Amino acid sequence: MRTPIMLASGTVGYGGELSGLCDFSSVGAIVTKTVTEAPRDGNRPPRLAETPGGLLNAIGLENVGIERFLDEKLPAAAALGAPVVVSVAGDSPAAFARLARRVGERPETAAVEINISCPNVERARRPVWDDPDATAAVVAAARAATGKPLLVKLSPNTADALSVAEAAQRAGADALVVANTLPGMRIDIETGRPALGNATGGLSGRALMPVNLALVWRIAAGVSIPLAGSGGVATAEDALEYLMAGASAVQVGTALFLDPDAATTIAEGLRRRMAHDGVRSVAEYKGMAGRMST
Amino acid sequence: MTIQATARLERATRVRAEDFLCAFDAGGAFPDARPGQFVHVRTPADLTLRRPFSVAAVTGRGRFELLVRKRGEGTAALLSLPEGAEVSVLGPSGNGFGLPEPGERAVLVAGGIGVAGLRHLSRTLARDGRRQVVLVGAPTATALLDGVLPGPTTDGAVRVEVATDDGSRGLRGTVCDLVGRALEETDAPARVYCCGPQAMLRSAAGIALAAGARCEALVEEVMACGIGACRGCVVRTRTGYRAACADGPVFDAAELVFDGEERA
Repeated sequence: MRTPIMLASGTVGYGGELSGLCDFSSVGAIVTKTVTEAPRDGNRPPRLAETPGGLLNAIGLENVGIERFLDEKLPAAAALGAPVVVSVAGDSPAAFARLARRVGERPETAAVEINISCPNVERARRPVWDDPDATAAVVAAARAATGKPLLVKLSPNTADALSVAEAAQRAGADALVVANTLPGMRIDIETGRPALGNATGGLSGRALMPVNLALVWRIAAGVSIPLAGSGGVATAEDALEYLMAGASAVQVGTALFLDPDAATTIAEGLRRRMAHDGVRSVAEYKGMAGRMST
Repeated sequence: MTIQATARLERATRVRAEDFLCAFDAGGAFPDARPGQFVHVRTPADLTLRRPFSVAAVTGRGRFELLVRKRGEGTAALLSLPEGAEVSVLGPSGNGFGLPEPGERAVLVAGGIGVAGLRHLSRTLARDGRRQVVLVGAPTATALLDGVLPGPTTDGAVRVEVATDDGSRGLRGTVCDLVGRALEETDAPARVYCCGPQAMLRSAAGIALAAGARCEALVEEVMACGIGACRGCVVRTRTGYRAACADGPVFDAAELVFDGEERA
């Protein structure tokens, strides 16, 4: 990647929405909004609630579906000039495989991100993200369906993230995104009702960063594939923390709502920091925190 | 086209209590907003989201006004800025109002701070020599935001009617009580423009549509991206969810599904 800064799924639409507002030469990759086989309406509004240091969202994977995505959205995203990672979600390993095959066949697709961790979609059983075996089944199915690089986006909402990460690696993931949002809630005390139409949502933003940073640090010690740190990255310093914890890249999401060109600011900050530290590659920062603690 | 720019606060003029008309200069590269469009402002508070404000007026190339009510941390921080301070603005965004067609009467309906969303439209209509009926409502006379919308003119081009809940000025009632009467005055086709709380929009739109008038409503929603990327600010319409930021904030009122209504 040109820079280790990716734009996180769900915050950039299908990419084209940021056209003219972002210098894509600063972007390592765009991760599209998660695509499902059928179009989805998403959850009932309100879908957003601000919290101290963070944001709750309950979008519910609203998307145009794979057919319209391939026809309209993917070519538009690819035209922006940054590599396009397509995020996909299905309700079974077979569905993940079908989606990975469809998007993987397209030359515009640089990589596929497997979203097993959206907290805003109802599940009757134990969620995939909390179950190493279920995660392995999904990843193995997608792996068999495409030769494109496969990223798996994990959830912070699990008791044993390392086991899930190891399962994803064994099943053929090329990299892991650590991690999605945490479940959260606000209540409107005037009405006594949840602030979100879906009652609960996913917490993102700065409040999430220490949680996901700890996950990166822990998972980096147990897997050998690259990690992209995600959660609260707004500055070059935030990105450095993730790199020092063991990540090879970061994903920027909620910070784009304050600055759609945040990738440029972060990339410039990283370059200044590297010059100051006499470092020639961001890889030299990788895992510094782990090395020092052992 | 929406761009991100730095805007300088030229002055903040108190309109009433904690409502201020803030004049910004974003430079000549900032596109002029159409009536009904908004600007997404990064406040100087340490918040996660920008704050959207209807463009209350365009006063020159790249120069615009926003009506800011001190409501929470973000608006308080914005209003604490000294004149000359700079903020990041993203805009102009959204679709804006459709202007009335020749022969169509313009009826503007503002509830509370909804006057902010109609000020630019009203000024544009006046500039173009179009006649307009302006209906304004507030709980009490002291809550009326005088001076935001133009006053009546002697030639009748601008007619203003007021309603207050307690009758302390104008009609005792709501602004919606004025809508039906204004529409019944003549048989000429009318286009109704509404901005205000959702209950007011629902009621005003219901009256306007029942009278056979076209009706456009400017909705207010919590927004994150402001450019249609996150799908956080959606409203219900007859054809599904639409983003207030990119598909709105102005919608054909006949398309909106308000709280409590079933989807068609």
